[in-house]
Amino acid sequence: MLVSWKWLSQYVDLNMDREELETRLALSGLNHEGTETPADNPALAADDFCIDLEVTSNRGDCLGHLGVAREIAVLYDRELKVPTPKLPASSVPIDSLLRVDNQFTEACPRYTARVIQGVKIGPSPDWMQAALRSVGIGVVNNVVDATNYVMMECGQPLHAFDYASIADQKIVIRPAADKESITAIDHRQYELDPSMCVIADGQHASAVAGVMGGADSEVTETTTDLVIEAAIFTPLSVRRTARKLKLHSPSSFRFERRVDPVGVDWASRRVCQLIVESAGGTVADGVIDTAADIPGSDPIVLRLSEIERILGITIDAEQVQRILTALGCQCERPFSNGEASFVAPSWRHDLTRQADLIEEVARIHGYDKIPEDSPIPVAPSSKRTFDSATEKIRRVLTAAGLSEAMTPSVVTKKLDESLSPWTDRPALATQTAMLKGAKRLRRTLMPSLLQARANNWASASIEANLFEIAHIYVPGKTPEDLPEELYTVGMVVGGDFFTAKGILESLCEMLGTKHPISVTPVPSSGFVPGQLVRVSLGQSQLGYLGVVDPKTLKQWKLPGKVVVAELSLPGLLADSQLVPQQVVVSMFPSVERDLNFVMAESVRWNDLETVVRAAVGDPLKSMAYRETYRDAAKDGKDRKRVLFSMQLQRDDGTMSGEDADALVSRVISDCKQKLDAELLG
Amino acid sequence: MSLQNFLSALDCLQTEAIETLTAASDADAFEAARVKYVGQKKGALKDIQKQMGKVAAEDRKNAGMRLNEAKQAIEAAVAEAQQRLGGGGESGADPTFDPTLPGVRPSVGHIHPITQTITHLTEIMGRMGFEAAEGPEVEDPWHNFVALNIPEDHPARDPLDNFYLATAESGSENRNVEGSRLLRSQTSTVQIRVMENRQPPIRIISLGRVYRPDDPDATHFPMFHQMEGLLVDTHVTMANLKTVLRVFATNYLGGDVEIRFRPSFFPFTEPSVEVDFLWDGQWIEFGGAGMVDPNVFRAVGYDPDQVSGFAFGLGVERLCMRRHGIKDIRDLYSGDMRFLSQF
Repeated sequence: MLVSWKWLSQYVDLNMDREELETRLALSGLNHEGTETPADNPALAADDFCIDLEVTSNRGDCLGHLGVAREIAVLYDRELKVPTPKLPASSVPIDSLLRVDNQFTEACPRYTARVIQGVKIGPSPDWMQAALRSVGIGVVNNVVDATNYVMMECGQPLHAFDYASIADQKIVIRPAADKESITAIDHRQYELDPSMCVIADGQHASAVAGVMGGADSEVTETTTDLVIEAAIFTPLSVRRTARKLKLHSPSSFRFERRVDPVGVDWASRRVCQLIVESAGGTVADGVIDTAADIPGSDPIVLRLSEIERILGITIDAEQVQRILTALGCQCERPFSNGEASFVAPSWRHDLTRQADLIEEVARIHGYDKIPEDSPIPVAPSSKRTFDSATEKIRRVLTAAGLSEAMTPSVVTKKLDESLSPWTDRPALATQTAMLKGAKRLRRTLMPSLLQARANNWASASIEANLFEIAHIYVPGKTPEDLPEELYTVGMVVGGDFFTAKGILESLCEMLGTKHPISVTPVPSSGFVPGQLVRVSLGQSQLGYLGVVDPKTLKQWKLPGKVVVAELSLPGLLADSQLVPQQVVVSMFPSVERDLNFVMAESVRWNDLETVVRAAVGDPLKSMAYRETYRDAAKDGKDRKRVLFSMQLQRDDGTMSGEDADALVSRVISDCKQKLDAELLG
Repeated sequence: MSLQNFLSALDCLQTEAIETLTAASDADAFEAARVKYVGQKKGALKDIQKQMGKVAAEDRKNAGMRLNEAKQAIEAAVAEAQQRLGGGGESGADPTFDPTLPGVRPSVGHIHPITQTITHLTEIMGRMGFEAAEGPEVEDPWHNFVALNIPEDHPARDPLDNFYLATAESGSENRNVEGSRLLRSQTSTVQIRVMENRQPPIRIISLGRVYRPDDPDATHFPMFHQMEGLLVDTHVTMANLKTVLRVFATNYLGGDVEIRFRPSFFPFTEPSVEVDFLWDGQWIEFGGAGMVDPNVFRAVGYDPDQVSGFAFGLGVERLCMRRHGIKDIRDLYSGDMRFLSQF
C-alpha cells in the first residue's frame, strides 16, 4: 500500500519525524518497505513523500489513507479527521431511473447504486491529480479519478458506468453464462464461466464483479449521466475470478481482503460529492441498496487477567480502553472487576474474539514492553533413536567416500519409470509440476541419485559417489489412499557390486544389526541380469542393491560401472543395536587354517559358509573368503576352486594342533558330503 | 676348505667391514670401503661367496646360512654409513624426499549443509528441552489447513499456492482443484499431529521438507525445509516466547543478540509476530512466531482457557545460506559435487 505523506496529513496531524513514524508503523503492524522522496520520484510534489507499507491480509482496513491515518492517530494519541460527505438535495427519485436485481447474493452480499445526471466530463482538479500521481495512479478524467481517489482514501473500490449504455435501465448481478465474453476496460476480451459474478444490464455483462469494468459501459467524453456502484463482493469469488482470468486489479486486491460493509455507503456519497464538485450534475435522490441492514457485531468480553496470561505483562485498564476505543471499538461496558466488553468497528472484520483484542492492545502498547528474561522451566529432551541412527549412517557413508545430496522429492515421468524396485503401483502425482515437468512423487531415491551422478559427469567429469536420506512415497492399495512414506537411505557409487555391498555390510556392522546381510537375486529391468538383489536382515526385507544395466547407463550418459542401493531406515533400525555391548575376547592363542576346495559352480559362498560354520561350531571365530580360481582343464567344466581361511580358537583353553586338525577333517567330510566339494592337497 | 676355516674367514671379514664402515668419516672413505666389501665385481663378499664351492657338500647349508647373516649385517652397515654420510650433505636426508609434496588424502564424503544446519538447530533447541518430531509430507486438508484455523475461503488454500495431488477425478492433468491430499505447505501439520495424540506439556520442534509452487530462482525453490517450535503448558506467555527466541539467537549467532517483534498475521497464532535479530548492525528477519490461536487448541481437543502456548517457525535454508555464504538456493538441491564438497 502506497501512501502519500501529504494526503495522510489531511486526516491526522503529521508533525512527527517521518522516519520515526515509519519505524513505529513497522513495529505496530504496517511494515515499512521503503519511501520515495521527490528526488526519487518526479511524480511527487516537492513537499511530499510516498511511503510503501506492507499490509497483512487481515487488515483490509489499511488499504486506504484513512485506515493508515487511524493507526497513526492511535499510536500518537491524536485526533482522526474523517470528512463528512454532503450531497445537495434532488427532486428526481433514483427509482425512476434505475432498477437493480441481485441474483447472486453468494458473490455479492450488498450492492448499492446512485445515479448522477448532467455531468460534464473533463480533467479532474489539480489537487486530485497530484494526489493520485503521488501514489502511482494514472489520471483519466474527473469521474474515473474521483472513484480511484475515494478508493485510495477509504479502501472501498467504486465503479462508474455510463448510464446511457445500460440497456433497459436495469442492473443485474448474476453468474456469467457459460462462455459469455466481455471486453474489459483494458480492451482485452475475457471468456467467463458460471462460477464468476458479472454486473450486467438488461442484455450484456457490463463488468466482472469486483475485478474490472467493461469497455462498453466505460465513461467517455460524451457521457452525461452516471451510475455509481459501491458494493461488497465476497473475497473467495473475487479471488477465484481474478485468478482464472489472470486479471488482478486494485479493486480485486481490496475485495479479496474484505471491505468495510458499513463504509460502502460513505464511499458512495463521498464519490458523488467529489464528482459533482468537479464535473457538475445532480445526484438523484436516494440510493438503491440491496442489503441496507448490516447486522452489528457481538460484544467481546476482555479480561485483564487474560492479557497477563497470554502476554506475560500487565497493562492497566485505562491504557487498554484507550487503545481499543481509539481503534474504533465501542466500549459497551467499561472495566470493572478486571473485565470490560467492546464491540469491534465494522471495518475490523478480524476482531471477533478476546484473543483478537489482546493482539490489538499488545501491538499498540508495544512488543518492546514484553520482557526477555522469562525462562521456561527445565525439561529433559532426549535425542531420537532415529537421529542417532542417521548420524551413524552419515558417519559410515562419508568415511566410505560418499557425499550427502538432497534431491527433489517430485520427479519426472522418465525418472520415475527408470527404476522402481519397491513397488509396481503407479506413482502418486501432483496436479502442478514442481520443476520442469516433474509431477511424480518418487517411489525410490535411486534414479534421483543416478541423475545427480550423471549431471556431475556431464558438467565437470566428476564420478560422484552420493547418498541421500529422504522419504519415498509408496502408493497405497487404492489411488485415494495416503501413501506409505518410507525413510530410506539411497546411494550411488562407481565400482563393482562388492564395493557397494561392502559399504552396506560396514553400515550394518556399525549399527550393530543382529543379523548379517543376506541377499536374494530378484528380476527387474534396468539392472544387469542377476545382479539386482533384495537385501534382508534375517527374515525382514531391507532394500535393494544392484549393478545398473549398461544400456540404462547409456541413457544417463554415464561411463564405467555404477552400483545403486537403497535401504529402508525403519528396517535397519528395527534390527540395530545402537549402543554397542562388549563381547569378551578369548585370551587363548588362535590357529589359522587355509582350505582350498573344488566344487560345482552352482555352490554359493553362502552354502559353503553355512556348512563350515555348522561343522566347526563355536571355535570358528572367523571365516574369511580369499579367492576363487577356475581352471576347466584341471577341474572340469563348471567347477571352481574356492580358497578361504578359518580362525579357530577356544574360549576355555589353547587350541592344540590336534584339536584344529579334528575340526578341519570334520569340515572336509561335511563339505564332501553336503556340497560335493573336494579338498585340494 | 673346511667349514671351520670358511666361518672364521667370514667372521673376520664381517668384523673388519663393519669397523671400517663405521669409521668412515667422509664420502670417499665410505665409497672405498663400500667397493672393497660389497662391490659387485671385486668385493670381499663376492670373493668369499666363491669359496662356498670348496666347502664340503654336507656343510654347505650351514655355511650358506652364516654367509647370509654376514651379508645382511655388512649391507646394513653400508646402508647405515650411507645414511650417516650420504647423499644430502650434513643432515643425512634423502635429497629426493620432498616433504612439501601434497599428502595422499583419504576420500572422505561430505555432509549436506542443510543437514548440518538442522543438526545445529536441533541441538540448540534440545538444550532448551525441545524434542524433534516429524510427520508425513503428504497431508490432508484437515492437518494442513482446517486444524490450523485456515478456513475454506482462505487464500492459503488456493490450488495455485499448493501442490494438491491428482486424483482419479481430477486426472493427472493440470486441473488446479483443491484436492483431498497435498504436499504439506508447512511443518505446522506435525504440531497438530503431536497435539492430537498427546496431552500438554508439549515441547517439540518439527522439522522437514515442505512444498510451495514457487518458480525457482536464487532465493526460491518449490521444496524447502522448515523448523517449527511449539511449547504448550498451563502458563506459557509471550514473554517466554521472546526469552526462548533470544536465547536461541544468542546460541546460534554467538554473543548477546538483540531481538524484536513486529506484528504480523498467521491464522494459527494470535497474537502473531515477525521476529527480527540485530546482526552486524542490521535487523535480519528470522521467522514468524506467536501465541497458539485458541481455535487451534479447540481443533485438537485442548481447552484454550486451561492451556496456552507459543509457536515459531523458520526457514532452514535462509539460516543455512546466511551462515555459509551460499548465494543460490538451487545449489542446495543440485547434487553437484563442486558445491557439496565445500561443506
